[in-house]
Amino acid sequence: MPEHHIEAEQARASDDVLRVENVAKRFGPVTALRDINLHLRKGEVLGLLGDNGAGKSTLIKIISGFQKPDEGRIMLRGEEVELKSVDHARSLGIDCVYQDLALVNELSVFQNMFLRREKVKKPIPFLANKAMKQDTRAALDDIGVNIPRIDVPVARLSGGQRQAIAVARTVTSDAEIILLDEPLAAMGAKEGAMILDLVARLRAEGRVSIIMIAHNYVHVLESCDRVNLIQEGEITFDKPTADTSVEELNDIVVEEYRRARIAAVGGDGRTGG
Amino acid sequence: MRRFLTLREGSIIVVTVLAIIYFAIKTDTFFTHDNFINLLPYFAPYAILAVGEVMLMVAGEIDLSIGSVFLFAPYMFYEFNNAGLPLTADLILALACCAVVGIINGVFTEVIGVSSFITTLGMLLGLGGLTLIISHAQPVAMPGAEVTSRTVQVEHVVNGATVTLPEKVNEVGTFAKIFGAGTYSQLIWALVIVIGVQLLLTLTRWGMYTIAVGGNKLGAREAGINVRLTVIRNFVMCSVFAGLVGIFEAMRTSSVTPDTAGASETMFRAVSAAVIGGTLLAGGEGTAIGALFGALFLGVLRDGLTLQGVNADYLDFILGIAILLAMVINIYVGRVRKGSGRA
Repeated sequence: MPEHHIEAEQARASDDVLRVENVAKRFGPVTALRDINLHLRKGEVLGLLGDNGAGKSTLIKIISGFQKPDEGRIMLRGEEVELKSVDHARSLGIDCVYQDLALVNELSVFQNMFLRREKVKKPIPFLANKAMKQDTRAALDDIGVNIPRIDVPVARLSGGQRQAIAVARTVTSDAEIILLDEPLAAMGAKEGAMILDLVARLRAEGRVSIIMIAHNYVHVLESCDRVNLIQEGEITFDKPTADTSVEELNDIVVEEYRRARIAAVGGDGRTGG
Repeated sequence: MRRFLTLREGSIIVVTVLAIIYFAIKTDTFFTHDNFINLLPYFAPYAILAVGEVMLMVAGEIDLSIGSVFLFAPYMFYEFNNAGLPLTADLILALACCAVVGIINGVFTEVIGVSSFITTLGMLLGLGGLTLIISHAQPVAMPGAEVTSRTVQVEHVVNGATVTLPEKVNEVGTFAKIFGAGTYSQLIWALVIVIGVQLLLTLTRWGMYTIAVGGNKLGAREAGINVRLTVIRNFVMCSVFAGLVGIFEAMRTSSVTPDTAGASETMFRAVSAAVIGGTLLAGGEGTAIGALFGALFLGVLRDGLTLQGVNADYLDFILGIAILLAMVINIYVGRVRKGSGRA
């Protein structure tokens, strides 16, 4: 394993809104997470980097209650919690924007915004569409997302607009911990900038804590307070973004790639290269 | 007009109206009250079956077993009545049995993970067989649908003189009249159920979650929607509707015959009505109003062709072509809808 320095931050555990301790997860013969230790401070934006298959998405799914860990524990505001379901995690203030967005193409923008949090009328529980439209419009304006029509199916929107809706949905749900799973995937520069602006605004507000999975180091260094790197199911790197650089991150990943190539070619890792 | 045509159910409404106009011009008898009454059994039961199917198809599933449930329910009704229970209790218990069938379909599909096509194909055959066993393959008279005759004295005026003559009046009980035997009973049920399901689909959480599950199952699950509950309750609703229609039809004809082949055909007509109405087999989109018109279209076609004296052998052939044509129109209109961005 690489011998990169991992910062011990035990002394500041009291600031942590979320701690993941010794979490492991296997799918049959495949070990997705080996031993994950991660912490998130209040108001912080934590960037999570890692190769494809390193375990980023699995970790996000565990924190959001979608999957249960085989081992380890999750501490929320200093107390151990067992996340039973997505609903349960959400009730505790953890919400996630998944890579596949969890948007339903056939439903309209405002219906997607309120999916699972619908407003209904009384006494007959019909959907309160008018109220939901108004709130959606207000929420989108509030976070500076421009969607011209909110009563059309989201299938008609661009990738950036869809991502913005997914993020806006999470932000407006009063979540305290927001997980963003590759929010800039498959997005043009202009649309990506819209999402990064959104993250910057949330970071400045400091109300929510964010874990953002990303591929692009520049994005991470620009919009995050701290960066963690996952390699083969473990966090191998943890530094404030101010103390690292694109070059340092790049070197680590190049090194990992080199070792992976050697392993693929065969031998004990010394004979090749 | 363009906007109306691009509504999901717009094309089938137009096609149905065109078919009605065609038969009204081509035959003298189509646009008469008597023929309207004749048309009802070709249409109302299928509309109810089809809307149950619509909800399942929106959820991305299908229920082929409604054919057998349609036969099974009246036999259960008969058995409960034989056990000495009153008619209302027979109805409730028979429908409860149908609900159990729906739960089994739902559990196999969503919990065990067998595709609904296979699950309900198995249920279609299995439950059809069970109905044959229960019934010993014998037709039975429907309890509560017995026709009672009584004689009434009717005054006639003949050549200025008042003459009182006896006349025979045939009647069925109130229960049977409400549940299928009354002339307009099934039409009223169909309209109420179709409107109810349309509201359920478009204005409630149930409907919204059903669309979400059919449109993006993983996304729905990630959003925290209970996918199993959503699918299972639509299976239950579909099954209960099928049982209800089975009892209606048995009441209307005052007997029930264990005709499993006919029951399968009933199922296929109901599925056709839903699909013609503009509901996608792929899930995520559908319309109960469309299914009503899909059923009406099939009924009008069948009735109109019969009135025209078309040889019965040609009926299904023409129906088949009509279904394909209607689907082509639907797909074309669907493209226009998505392309134009229906503003």
